[in-house]
Amino acid sequence: MQTRTHNSHHSFWRRSALWLSGWGMLALCLALAALLQGCMKSSLSRTPLPEPIGTSPFGFVEEPSAGRNVTPLGSDELWILARGEGPAEPSADAPGSGELMANIGEKRVPMPLQHTDVRASVSGHIGSVEVRQQFQNPYTGKIEAVYAFPLPHNAAVNEFIMTIGERRIRGIIRERREAERLYQEAKRQGYVASLLTEERPNVFTQSVANIEPGKQIDVDIKYFHTLDYVDGWYEFAFPMMAGPRFNPPGTSNGIGAVARGQTGVSGQNSEAQYLRPRERSGHDISLKVDVDAGVPIEQFECKTHQVSSQAASPNRLTVSLDPADSLPNKDFVLRYRVAGDRIKSALMTHRDERGGFFSLMLFPPRDLAGLRRQPLELVFVLDCSGSMSGRPIQQAKAAVQRGLHLLQPGDSFQLISFSTTTSRLGDSPLEATPENIHLAMQYLNELDAEGGTMMVDGVKAALDFPHDPSRLRFVCFLTDGYVGNEAEILGEIHQRLGSSRIFSFGIGSAVNRYLIDRMAQAGRGAVAYLGPNDSAAQIMGDFFEHISHPALTDLRIDWDGLNVIEAFPATLPDLFVGRPVVVTGRFAGDPYTVIRVNGNVGDQPMQVAIPALGRESGGDDPALPSVWARMKIAELSDQFAYRLDPGLCEQIKQVALDYGLMSPFTAFVAVDSTRRTYGSAGTTVPVAVPVPDGVKYKTTVEEK
Amino acid sequence: MRAALQSLPRGAGLVRLVALVLSVFGLAAGLRAQQPALEEGRSRFCAIDIYVDAGATPLAAYQLEFTATNGMAKIAGIEGGAHAAFHEPPFYDPKAMQHERVILAAFSTAAADKLPVGKVRVATVHLQITGDSPPQFQIKLQTAGDANGNKIPAQASFEERKQQ
Repeated sequence: MQTRTHNSHHSFWRRSALWLSGWGMLALCLALAALLQGCMKSSLSRTPLPEPIGTSPFGFVEEPSAGRNVTPLGSDELWILARGEGPAEPSADAPGSGELMANIGEKRVPMPLQHTDVRASVSGHIGSVEVRQQFQNPYTGKIEAVYAFPLPHNAAVNEFIMTIGERRIRGIIRERREAERLYQEAKRQGYVASLLTEERPNVFTQSVANIEPGKQIDVDIKYFHTLDYVDGWYEFAFPMMAGPRFNPPGTSNGIGAVARGQTGVSGQNSEAQYLRPRERSGHDISLKVDVDAGVPIEQFECKTHQVSSQAASPNRLTVSLDPADSLPNKDFVLRYRVAGDRIKSALMTHRDERGGFFSLMLFPPRDLAGLRRQPLELVFVLDCSGSMSGRPIQQAKAAVQRGLHLLQPGDSFQLISFSTTTSRLGDSPLEATPENIHLAMQYLNELDAEGGTMMVDGVKAALDFPHDPSRLRFVCFLTDGYVGNEAEILGEIHQRLGSSRIFSFGIGSAVNRYLIDRMAQAGRGAVAYLGPNDSAAQIMGDFFEHISHPALTDLRIDWDGLNVIEAFPATLPDLFVGRPVVVTGRFAGDPYTVIRVNGNVGDQPMQVAIPALGRESGGDDPALPSVWARMKIAELSDQFAYRLDPGLCEQIKQVALDYGLMSPFTAFVAVDSTRRTYGSAGTTVPVAVPVPDGVKYKTTVEEK
Repeated sequence: MRAALQSLPRGAGLVRLVALVLSVFGLAAGLRAQQPALEEGRSRFCAIDIYVDAGATPLAAYQLEFTATNGMAKIAGIEGGAHAAFHEPPFYDPKAMQHERVILAAFSTAAADKLPVGKVRVATVHLQITGDSPPQFQIKLQTAGDANGNKIPAQASFEERKQQ
């Protein structure tokens, strides 16, 4: 028996050696290579998702694996059977396979983001907003949810709390790479953790790791921001989604727009995933805004959504989003008008152990409205890229048509369009004669929206031709701002502006307000938004009203006894009729002082005294340090777009850490270290969102 | 081929082959096992419960400083306490946090009969501990107050929570 066994072994090894000496050796090498590759697989591997809960009584849970963002479910993984928990979905195949639930003509896609709740309170011109994102795992395996979402670009995000059941864990602000490392390690070891990073001033990424099947994790974000005030109307805006961005060829630091389930195809550092036409995720939103204006509210309007309202007193207003209009696919915009005569330049202050902080809303002097303007050289620059297709390009054309009709004899104009290429009406600006305006109308009618968004070329075309010094040159950009190279565009404007002024018009339902606002600020002009339900003629008419009177230019402020240390914006824009400017700063002196604003109206100097501001002010506001710090970060970030000075990064980071704020170089992280979930990593599930209302999927989203 | 096989010394060929197969599989398995093990060894997460004991006086407010003295601990989250009055996670000073020193403060406006008495967990600090040596912690109560805003004598302490 023993001998036979020995012989048997001998025979086995002889056969094995024979096999290995030929093709067998190659097969072994390939097998080993595959095994080693499995050990060191790239973190960017594409990953099939686990089954939605309810597809079978059992689900698959992965074996712990080392520090990977996306866990491949290859043949080298150890699979362990686990029973699915939590609420059962109707029968459905795994998302990503294309076989999804039918919902009256729509496909319902299980997504980990269930609901967003927004609670805002506004006092004076500062809003405080709390956003709750409710993540729930609808699958049978553990997941990491990753969600790219927007916030206002001037939001000072200073609070981050992760809620697990009844337990609430406050996130810690840290240097970004340190926070990312901490999060990745917690994720790898199986702890529930969340991370908030900033991709752009108005685009953030929320990651929540180790959400077990059926379990819910909420994340609360709080921020402060200043409201816009134009022509007697305050505007509160909450962006509900980040629109799909075009990234010029050769760039990799943009935000890719890819189809649901196609992680990594854009080649960009960060990505947003979009649902295909007729797909729905079930994610909805609720929103409530409480306004305490301090003075009677005369009127309010919300053209973007269906809302209900209550007014507890003449100074107060509560507006709630109608549950029937809860699809988060466009910006929420609430405008309200307060009693006009009572609005004056107002100073809000706050003092704490860090010193004094103030915010000044500086109104233009009334005298300006009685003066007439100089002749204009008006340059309209239309974004004709694919994302503008449909209603947006119609609105843009209507606005330009209105503008052409409002030109006066003596003015001149130019039309420029850009998409993948750039074109213009004439080699130089045309006189505003009826014949030339007719030509312009024909040119305008022939424009169509398709192709990429090479906005830098549009900027160059608009700012590079010779300027007629006898006319004021205003350059009007009409765009949705769906590009990923914002810094490059702002840098070009900074470099080429000269004596031009830029007015940017945001066209669409969910535009890139960061870019559009910063273009106007860099261009020392102003901004207006034209939604699908707004009157293009009225918006353009309002713009002409502003530029029909001379602006107070070259502003300089004498702060007198206020002893201002740092105030932002560092370069003040021109002060146009109906458009106040908010200046935020630190002070060390007496807030009960007289501030003098010096500027020029045409060639004539003008001084405006604003007496005893402190006594008229809305008093103390503890949000001011955060608002000031956010403005400083924005100012430094703008400088960073013009010159890549590493010292600026350090300054931004230090301000953000000192004031506990989000920035490009800081991040919030929260870890629940009390319990380790089973396994060490889940499958990464990017939260896909619909394309914005009025935007066409096929012209904006990358599908491979 | 057959000739080549026959030319192999019987025992030596077998041993080499077994060694090759075992070493290659061992290497692969080792790589898989080693990486997590090394990283696990470098850091672990733990929760430190923070207590304040004001004796029989209802506790309405506190401020304390919690420090990791050997620099091997990073704060990864701050959780509220056990009692409803201190359920919300306390605020921290971001400047102190840059030195892994956390100054926590919280207050409750509830009536005295709704406030905790005796030793109560007011917060939990979530930490990442790096390295093999156990970290050293210090806690210092800076102030504590009652429902009337008066300063009260109290003691602060901490304890590492056993992981579930």
